[in-house]
Amino acid sequence: MLFSTRSLLTMLHGLVLSGGAIMAIAAALFALRAMALPEGAPVSERQGNNFAWVAVAAAVLLWLAVLGGTYIVFPPYRATPPEGLLDLTGYPRAILLADPSTRWLHTFAMEIKEHMPWIAAMLTTAAAFVAHRYRSSLLAEGSLRRATGWMLSISMVLVLCVALLGVFVNKIAPLE
Amino acid sequence: MGTRNEGAGTATSADAALRRTNGAAMAATLAAGIGAAALGLFVLLNAAGVYSAPSIYPPAGGLSGRSTFAVVLWLAAWWILDQRWRERDLAPGPIVGWTVAMAAFSVIATFPPVWELF
Repeated sequence: MLFSTRSLLTMLHGLVLSGGAIMAIAAALFALRAMALPEGAPVSERQGNNFAWVAVAAAVLLWLAVLGGTYIVFPPYRATPPEGLLDLTGYPRAILLADPSTRWLHTFAMEIKEHMPWIAAMLTTAAAFVAHRYRSSLLAEGSLRRATGWMLSISMVLVLCVALLGVFVNKIAPLE
Repeated sequence: MGTRNEGAGTATSADAALRRTNGAAMAATLAAGIGAAALGLFVLLNAAGVYSAPSIYPPAGGLSGRSTFAVVLWLAAWWILDQRWRERDLAPGPIVGWTVAMAAFSVIATFPPVWELF
């Protein structure tokens, strides 16, 4: 088999779900600016719904990536190899910790990857809730747009950092 | 938090009040900050050896406990704030400011070099 199940799950986590979340957050941020209307102007149902669904999609994809990462991809990553095992293939954390030059990929990169996505998921969920609840007025309400924009912007930065670190980790010690 | 207009005024229905006021949005915003700060606090307490959240799912280690506890606090804060604010109109500036500050605290708290301070 060309790819193992664990490798496919890692790709689903990193490329499909996390990548999809990044694209959806980027689209929501762009739409928030491009679709902005003058204060108090009527918001068409179509515009409001479209923006709301992009934001909701970002939150759903991000939660799937976070939960999948924590409960499906992370356990085999951190599995401890049997005592005396020389070939550490299949034990990514052990591979990283065995070499001083790659140790930081666990102690720094992976530790960040464990926690920061949860912050992004909570903020993106709040943004999606606001986008959905206030879909009939958000695009024409500056204060709500700014609040939503702040949450999505912070999420975007965090998810991009985490994604980059994930690429580094997977490049050196892929989950096979 | 500053309040622009206490209560729903002369709203004829709860739905009309919900559409006009920003309380539900502010509750969601601040709750996200509280959830983020809770996660940061759990991580710092764990790094300092003061408190380690029990593992909810052993294969995922302590992360499962820390994140689950933070999510529970986030949802509880959201529910409480929503109950209190949903029919109010609040000044968004301070709420967004606190949310950003709590998110920043959480990012710093989950930054591994900070753990070396303990």
